[in-house]
Amino acid sequence: MIDFMLAAVVSAFLNIVLLLVVITTYVQNMRVIRSYYTSGLVLVAALLMLQNIVIVLFWSTLYMDDKALMMSADMVAHYLFIINVIQTIGLSILVWITRR
Amino acid sequence: MQNYLNNITKKFEKAFFISSTKCEQSVFTATITLPVFSFSGIIPRGLFSFSGTDNGQSGPDPRFKMILWSIIAGTRGGINRAKILNLLKNSPMNANKIATVMNLDYKTILHHVKILSKNELITKAEKDYGAEYQLTQIMKENQTILEEIMQKIGTK
Repeated sequence: MIDFMLAAVVSAFLNIVLLLVVITTYVQNMRVIRSYYTSGLVLVAALLMLQNIVIVLFWSTLYMDDKALMMSADMVAHYLFIINVIQTIGLSILVWITRR
Repeated sequence: MQNYLNNITKKFEKAFFISSTKCEQSVFTATITLPVFSFSGIIPRGLFSFSGTDNGQSGPDPRFKMILWSIIAGTRGGINRAKILNLLKNSPMNANKIATVMNLDYKTILHHVKILSKNELITKAEKDYGAEYQLTQIMKENQTILEEIMQKIGTK
C-alpha cells in the first residue's frame, strides 16, 4: 500500500526544486530586460512555488499534529497526489524548454 | 470597442454562412466537410500586447510578439539569441563570423542558431557547411518587436 500523502509531498518538493531552476533563469533574464513580460514570468513562478510550499507546510504541521485530520486527509490523499504529479510533469517540460 | 464587436459578429456570420453552404454541398457530393476552425480567429488582437500604446490594432502581429518574447525572455541565453537576431538583421552571417563578432564559443553559437532555426526565426541560405544565416520572412516583417526588445536590453 502506497502512502499517497507522502508521495504527494515528495512530488511537491520536486516541484519546488523545478520551480527554483525556472525562477533562477527568469530572474537572470529580468536583470537584463526589465518589462511586464519578464516580471510577470517571475511572479507566476513565485506563486506556483508558494502553492507547493503551502502543501509542504500543511503536511508538516496540520497533518502531523491532528490524528482526526490525518484520517480524513488520507482518504483524499490520492487526489492530491495526482494533482501534484501532473504539475511535476508540466514543470519538467517547462524546465526542459527553459534550459535548452 | 464597437468596431471590434462589429468585426466579431461579421466573422460569426461569415463562419455560419460558410458552414451552411458546405452542408448543402455535402448533401449532393456525400462528403463530410467541416468549417475551418482557427484559434487565432477567436483570440482578439491586442490581448498579448505589452506596449499599451497601439492597443494591438495596428503594427506587428501580437501573436508573433508573444513567441519572440518567450524565446528571448523565457529561456536561458535568450539575451544572446536576441543579439544574434540583431546582428543578422543588418547582414547575413555564418556561425563562425557570429562567434567572432559576439566573442562567444563557436559551439554555443551553433546551439543558439539551431534553436532559432527550429523556431523559424532564421534560415540557412544554402545547405552547405558554413552557410550564411538570414532572417525568415515573418521575422523580417516583425522587426519592430525585436527593436523594442533590444532597446530594453540596451538600457541596462
